This record gives sequence, C-alpha cells and structure tokens, in this order.
Amino acid sequence: MPDAKRVYETTFIVNASLDDHQIDAVIEKVKDLIVKNGGEIRELVKWGRKRFTYTIKKKNNGFYVVIEFGAGGDIVAKLERHYFLDDSILRYLTLVLDKRALKARTAAALLAAEQPVAEAKPEEVAKPAPVAEAPPTPAAPVTTTTV
Amino acid sequence: MPYNRPSSNRQGPRGTSSQRGAAGQVRKKRTCRFCDNKEDYVDYKAEKKLQRFVSEQGRIIPKRITGTCAKHQRMLVTAIKRARHLALLPYVSDAVK
Ligand SMILES: [Zn+2]
Repeated sequence: MPDAKRVYETTFIVNASLDDHQIDAVIEKVKDLIVKNGGEIRELVKWGRKRFTYTIKKKNNGFYVVIEFGAGGDIVAKLERHYFLDDSILRYLTLVLDKRALKARTAAALLAAEQPVAEAKPEEVAKPAPVAEAPPTPAAPVTTTTV
Repeated sequence: MPYNRPSSNRQGPRGTSSQRGAAGQVRKKRTCRFCDNKEDYVDYKAEKKLQRFVSEQGRIIPKRITGTCAKHQRMLVTAIKRARHLALLPYVSDAVK
C-alpha cells in the first residue's frame, strides 16, 4: 500500500458565471484537497472560459481547469466526492495516466520546446479571462453566431 | 519517336468510387494517421484533432472510412467519448435539428 503512487489527470469545469475570484477559490479548494491528501501537483493548466458544444445545466460555457498530480489511489474517491458536492463544478473527469500517456506527454513537451508555435496551446497562467465585461448573469452566451 | 503518349489506362475501373474522408477529401490509399505520425496516445483534450474523426452530426466515423487501424480506432473512440463528456465535442450536433 505505501507508495503506490500514480499520476492522475483531472479535468473539471467551473461555472463560468462566477467571477474570477470565485473561480480561483474553487480551484484552490481542489488543489488543497489534493495536497492535503498527500498528492503532489505536477501541473495546473487553466484553459479559461470555453464554449460548450451542448448545454450543461442551461449554461453555454464554462471555465476549464486541468490538473496533473501524483498520488495514491484513495485520493480519487475523495476528489470526485468533492466535485459532486461542489455546485459550481459542472463536469469532471479523472484519469490515470498510463505509461503510454506519460510517454506521449513528454514527447509532446519536447516537441513543443523545439517549436514553440506548434499548436494552439492554452495559456498556462491565469490570464484575465476575455469575458470579463459580462457581469455574473447566468446563461448569457457571449458568442451567438457559433453553431 | 522520343515521346510516348502517356497511357490513359492508369485509372482502373475500381477507381471510380472515391473514399470520402472526414473533411470530404478524396484519399486513394487509406492509412492510419496515428501510425503515420507515430502517435501512441490519443488525447481527449485535442478536440480539434478529434473533430476530423467525427461526422458533421457528431458521430464517430468508422475506421473503414478514415483508414485508422484497429488499435488506434479504439484509443480514438475513448478519447472522443471523453471529449464528449466534457462538452468539447457534441453527442449530437445542432445541425441535425
Ligand atoms: Zn494506427
């Protein structure tokens, strides 16, 4: 049981009608939970607000966050329970990164280092979100033209 | 004669039925794109990439059309389903209304 550590990747969608501070608080809570349960955060990527391809809880967009962390297996149940209970988290997905995925990841990182403009990579840092002018009115689609 | 006329029998009778790819392009030889690029993992987060393997209605295109090999099609399918769960890809596209 000791040191059966694995690498996990968890993606979750925060209600985008919250303001940036509230969203940060939600992310912070998740981070805390991982760290307090003995996990080690390897990477945290905020994709920012992104349009859904279908509505989730009558919302058209959400704030995507991806966290890669190393931890023992018992953490996932706790994490998913937290997601389930937090009403501002709309969707979540937690995966174990197997050897293959990890290999692909390091290969992609190397490639990205070689040619920085390889792909439209989401911003790594918390950039002030582009939809900042919209006050927290729920379900206000920013772009209406997209199919 | 120094110049031979190019023979016109190069296109066989079976060449008429063109294989339509994901984006509607005609491919003569179908090869697995993941094998070609030596990719051994299909990431659900790359929804732009996955879109090529999904029809306009949002359905997964069978491997007989895209040419993806069995191994990569399995990986692709799970990736697409994960992307759908996170609303990165549609379950059913609006276009089908
Ligand atoms: Zn293949």
